[in-house]
Amino acid sequence: MTVFDLLIQYIREGRIRLDKTRFAGITATYHDPCNYGRKAEKLFGHGYFDEPRWILDQCIDNWGDLYPAKMNQLCCGGGGGTLTTGYNQERIFYGRRKMEQIKAAGAQMIVVPCHSCHGQLNNIKKEYGMNDLTVKYLWELVADCLII
Amino acid sequence: METISEIVEMDHLNHARFESWHFSQDFCITCGMCSSSCPVSGIDGFDPRKLVRMVSLGLEDQVIEARWPWICTMCAKCEHVCPMEINIPAMVRNIRGLRDREKVPGILHKGLAAALETGNNLGLPKEDFVFILEDVAEEIKEEPGFEDFSVPIDKQGAKLLTTIHNKLVNTHTEDLKHWWKIFHAAKEDWTVPSDNWEGTNWGLFTGDDESMKIMAGRIAENMQRLKIETLMWPE
Repeated sequence: MTVFDLLIQYIREGRIRLDKTRFAGITATYHDPCNYGRKAEKLFGHGYFDEPRWILDQCIDNWGDLYPAKMNQLCCGGGGGTLTTGYNQERIFYGRRKMEQIKAAGAQMIVVPCHSCHGQLNNIKKEYGMNDLTVKYLWELVADCLII
Repeated sequence: METISEIVEMDHLNHARFESWHFSQDFCITCGMCSSSCPVSGIDGFDPRKLVRMVSLGLEDQVIEARWPWICTMCAKCEHVCPMEINIPAMVRNIRGLRDREKVPGILHKGLAAALETGNNLGLPKEDFVFILEDVAEEIKEEPGFEDFSVPIDKQGAKLLTTIHNKLVNTHTEDLKHWWKIFHAAKEDWTVPSDNWEGTNWGLFTGDDESMKIMAGRIAENMQRLKIETLMWPE
């Protein structure tokens, strides 16, 4: 079961309730990981594009897409094991376009559902003068909005 | 101007070398769509079109020794734009798999070797793993609304099994809490295995199918052993 389907199930069935005011005033955006999006579409005939966006809608009002997104998304640069090969200069350079996209979106928070993307974006933000950018797992956003 | 023979060592051409590979590499029309779409184009002279041609020409030693397949993130933008539908990311992965394991860069193969031997990339002993999980669970219990939280380890017949990314029991233990809080709020019947809990599968990155099968098989064994039907494997 995917992280998206499970979160959607919890929300739809009312098993968790979310407070949408938790991040009021924050501008957020979303990054499509290659494996959940473009590659899943190719391999399994279904890319997870709409599901994470629906979850975002349940957590936060003020978020918008990067451009380009979904099938034409730009890779964060942290995939394919590049966080662990030791070729760090190359990896940081690779992320330049993603960081430009996030800047252009005016986002203070980028939400990702992937460990590699999360690690990469958090690691390179300082290289691009974006220390204040919050990099958040999709499930972290949900956990932060939980009404207990 | 360089001649072809100065650029390509003609003695190394071997068209038959990769003809069994099913990535459609021989269909390349050298249009350059992949090169334009690739965020790593230009680094170290890399360009996916060149790599496709090298495979098609059978330049085996050069493609295996090149750094190119390892600086590619296999993001599949090239494949998405390719008019001939050449499966470039999978081709890159197969090239990676041909390299001598000792020459796999960074910690990729070392982590995988540790995982095959110990069940996780860190070589973390079971008692240390359980200690970390219970320690984090104690921290959650201190938060309002989570006073009765506990982490169910090896729970027989639970509804949901989760794997763990090794960095969450290493440098990022705070990030264990997000899913655990959601499970608690949703009253999920979940569990985490004390053995073979590793969620990453670095054979995916090193082109090592056999190791990938072993790692995935261990997760399936955990599900059988604990009689669990649903798996969440976020890594």
